[in-house]
Amino acid sequence: MTKLALKSIWARKVRAFATSLAVILGVAFIAGSYVLTDTIFAAFDEIFSESLHGTAVVITAQNPVKQETREVPTVPASYLAKVQGVPGVKEAAGAIFTPGGLFDAEDKAIGTKFAPKFISSTLPKGLESLTYVDGHRPRGPGEASLDKAAAESAGLGIGDTLKIIGAGRVEPFKLVGLTQLGQASFGGASIAQVTLPIAQQLTHKRGRFDQISVASAPGVSAVALKRRIEKVLPLSARVETAKEKAARSTEEIREGLGFLQTILLVFGYVAVLVGAFIIFNTFSITVAQRVSEFGVLRTLGASRRQILGSVLLEAAAIGLVGAVVGLAGGYAVAAGLRALFTAIGFGLPTTGLVMEARTVIVSVLVAFLVTFVSALVPAFRSTRVPPIAALHAFTPSPSRRRRVARFAIAAILGAVGIALVVAGLAGGGGVGARAARIGGGGLAVVVAVSLFSPTLVRPLADVAGWPLERVRHLTGRLARENAKRSPGRTAITAAALMIALALVTFITVFASGLKSSVATVIDENFAGGLVIENSDGFSPIPAGAAFAAAKVPGVKSVATIRTAEADVLGGSGGTVKVNGPTPNIEEGVDIEWLAGGPARLRHLADDEAIVSDSFARENGLEVGSKFTLLSQTGARPRLTVAGEFESKLGVFGSVLVTQKLMADAFRQTKDTTDFVILEPHADAAKVQTLLTLGAERAFPTAEVLNQGELREEREKQIDSIVQLFYLLLGLAVVISLIGVANTLGLSIYERTRELGMLRAIGMSRRQVRTMIRYEAVITALIGAMLGLVLGVVFAALIAQPLKQEGFTLSYPVGTLVGILVLAGLAGVVVAIVPARRASRLDVLESLQYE
Amino acid sequence: MTTEDGKVVVAEDLTKVYGSGDTEVVALAGVTTAFDRDRFTAIMGPSGSGKSTLMHILAGLDTPTAGTVILDGIEITGLDDGALTRLRRDKLGFVFQFFNLLPVLTAEENLVLPLSIAGRRPDQEWVDQLILTVGLEDRRTHRPSELSGGQQQRVAVARALVSKPAVVFADEPTGNLDSKASADVLDLLRRAVDEFDQTVVMVTHDPVAAAHADRLITLRDGRIVHDGAPGGADDVIELMKQLD
Ligand SMILES: Nc1ncnc2c1ncn2[C@@H]1O[C@H](COP(=O)(O)OP(=O)(O)OP(=O)(O)O)[C@@H](O)[C@H]1O
Ligand SMILES: [Mg+2]
Repeated sequence: MTKLALKSIWARKVRAFATSLAVILGVAFIAGSYVLTDTIFAAFDEIFSESLHGTAVVITAQNPVKQETREVPTVPASYLAKVQGVPGVKEAAGAIFTPGGLFDAEDKAIGTKFAPKFISSTLPKGLESLTYVDGHRPRGPGEASLDKAAAESAGLGIGDTLKIIGAGRVEPFKLVGLTQLGQASFGGASIAQVTLPIAQQLTHKRGRFDQISVASAPGVSAVALKRRIEKVLPLSARVETAKEKAARSTEEIREGLGFLQTILLVFGYVAVLVGAFIIFNTFSITVAQRVSEFGVLRTLGASRRQILGSVLLEAAAIGLVGAVVGLAGGYAVAAGLRALFTAIGFGLPTTGLVMEARTVIVSVLVAFLVTFVSALVPAFRSTRVPPIAALHAFTPSPSRRRRVARFAIAAILGAVGIALVVAGLAGGGGVGARAARIGGGGLAVVVAVSLFSPTLVRPLADVAGWPLERVRHLTGRLARENAKRSPGRTAITAAALMIALALVTFITVFASGLKSSVATVIDENFAGGLVIENSDGFSPIPAGAAFAAAKVPGVKSVATIRTAEADVLGGSGGTVKVNGPTPNIEEGVDIEWLAGGPARLRHLADDEAIVSDSFARENGLEVGSKFTLLSQTGARPRLTVAGEFESKLGVFGSVLVTQKLMADAFRQTKDTTDFVILEPHADAAKVQTLLTLGAERAFPTAEVLNQGELREEREKQIDSIVQLFYLLLGLAVVISLIGVANTLGLSIYERTRELGMLRAIGMSRRQVRTMIRYEAVITALIGAMLGLVLGVVFAALIAQPLKQEGFTLSYPVGTLVGILVLAGLAGVVVAIVPARRASRLDVLESLQYE
Repeated sequence: MTTEDGKVVVAEDLTKVYGSGDTEVVALAGVTTAFDRDRFTAIMGPSGSGKSTLMHILAGLDTPTAGTVILDGIEITGLDDGALTRLRRDKLGFVFQFFNLLPVLTAEENLVLPLSIAGRRPDQEWVDQLILTVGLEDRRTHRPSELSGGQQQRVAVARALVSKPAVVFADEPTGNLDSKASADVLDLLRRAVDEFDQTVVMVTHDPVAAAHADRLITLRDGRIVHDGAPGGADDVIELMKQLD
């Protein structure tokens, strides 16, 4: 019996391979996601431990804020002398390692847009971790080194000019050395090194360090040294051994990049789900086609168990192929994803690809479970084949009771799914729990629609087939009828595509809503002015840019906003965004006041705050009540609510405070956004040109944008993410299309005689091809129509609670129609092979085909 | 457009050999014959004698190892797939043993299928007449699954006639039917020849069926061993016995 099952797979090896492809792709993507992220983490691990080469203990400042803050706290230089006095310290030195901007002599940026660039300080020889592969260390003002990879990609060599910008104006340096950190690659990141005083001056950290590195005297362990140092420093100092520090940094990266792994895995599992539909369908069809074979086996005395075993063994074989080939494919996927991220400017550090045991276990489990579970129902159906089926054509057709049961299950699942989605949206619980509810609900709805879809296939096939029938009367008609012939089959095939396209539609609609909402906010609130911000769209820019801009003729004044993160002590307890605007901010942007008003903002005291409506609601605040924040420096400003504004897409964050408080409590002296307010009769275009020439030259990380450009910039940011999602969803789409081809191939095989007859009575090859192609188009269109509806409904559901945040949905009708058309065209493409096969069938052989 | 002497199909020294060496099977060993217009010919012979092979070659569904076939004035041996397809569409009608109707189309749609394939508008009067002749006026919109085997086969015969082909080929059209249904189908083929001036070539195992024909060709081991009028069913049975 086992032999028979294996033989039967071998006999249908092409089909079996196409079926395993549905598993392989999904598994490969999951494996690839793990391989890629593990590789990135391993690379960071390497970088962090390399960068602490020769260091025993590291001293940094504690950061009490729960979530990541844009400003990292520093330690005062006075700690250094204390540390140097500790017995067992061989050598200790302060260091700077701060994000900045790097440019060549022509102001061309070094490194890709989103990759980090760092300003670091030289350390004494014993503590230095960078090795110089060319030239020498910077010895004084005017000298800098750069990492070799960045220098090479920017085409810079020793003696060239390297411009560095920190918290002030850009400054030119002579490139005197090229560095490397062990064997690690930084991905897209670049590191420039200057002497310590210069680094402090560039980053406005005079008298402060980002960290103090300590080397131990011979015979003194790092742990012992750490204990001794802890005794001489206050609690706000974090003293760690080099090992602990490296581990913490890696852990932080794991948390920070965890979302990447999660997102990739979500797309991987979507692909697997789509694959499961395909496997279910393929097994259902092949079981139906082998009914008489099973009948013969039963008459020969095979038990039900044996029949079941033979079908499940086939599933296991496909699972095995899926696991093995999928794992191997994981390497390719990881390499491909890495290339993709690099191509779109998110270069990530890497080493050799890492395949962890967990990756292997998960991939194998997923491959087997998916094929097994998907094949289970068809396998049990095969056991219901009676021996008599050997003699009669027997189709185990779903009974009325079964149909009713299916409807009931679909209805219950659908209701539960919608309830879950609504519950997830309404809130309660953490982000993870809510996402899980929404995701689980979405899955339930998808399964419900798939169960229900056989009923929808007939009307939808009529809708999709109608235009085709206008063009090609007979072939269109036959294609439509063939698609309706086994509605269950067509439904499952279409449902696979539906899942993929529902997500595509959801993302499209949601992104379009986001773009139009952002555009509305920009148009309504930033009318007419100019804006200066970092060209990466999120990093801060030096305060000097605003002062320089204020001096440009035609500029009346410049309003700025500075941003930091803080924890709310008591109350909701979360981390919120705090903004420090200049008093004249309302000349540049409109604020929707709910309480207080422009005058209160203009005369805001340093112990007062203006809060957003949602922040007030979450923390139970009203005008006059007090609350306390905790900053990354450990400061705990206690603030009185002086006013309340309406939050629109969170542009002003949760809390507005004075810039004085920003500097004192948050050490934030850089601007997030500068709003340039023009003289009444100034020529905006001319002012923009002057600003670009002046401010951008002195502060090359800054970019001057007018209202339209700002909107475009935001739209581009959204688009690039949407495109990435499209690419990742492409896999699920491809798998579902393989499913269309697979089902089509199996149906053609079933209809061989019929095709022979059509050819015998004069149907041309071309007509056969057209007929098959249209059938694929109709199936694809059914999936697309269901997917579009589902995607739009989901987007509308999820947009509902966001309405009060200023988010409004907009339906990109053109794009949605485009998706429909593309789905139809995809149907044409995937039908090429089956259509050709059908048209090449030998007429005589087909006629005699049993 | 028949050949001058009124022959619709002319077969010249047809040979068909399957396989080679030890496995060589000679299905046709030099068959020369011709079919007149407006005549009903039956082909009989023991199983494996080459009846189907001959018919397939005559209809351009298969190619002979040697020899030629001229169909309605056109030499069909050597035509490419496109030309053969057009030939089958425009000049030939087929009735197969198993009811080769499309399950997704109604009886009437199945009936006009060859015209639909050709993209021609059916002549409604002609279609109505055919439906009347096959006695399926009240079954026009039924699907094949809602028709009896005999009714399905009658639709297949009407379909073979609808494009007014030069020849109708039927391979054991009654092979799967009971005697009543068989009689209906044979009667229909007979009327096609008598009333609609069609030419019919039918392969059969049934002496009763052969008796409906004007001419009986008998094959044995790939050769024609008898060619003449069939007479009654008893005569045919007698003839078959002699040949055995
Ligand atoms: N594709 C093929 N390959 C090899 N041999 C074949 C093939 N088709 C037919 N034959 C052989 O050719 C011979 C004639 O076959 P054919 O089908 O013409 O017989 P038939 O007279 O129609 O028989 P039946 O009455 O059983 O239908 C037989 O011996 C058969 O085995
Ligand atoms: Mg035969």
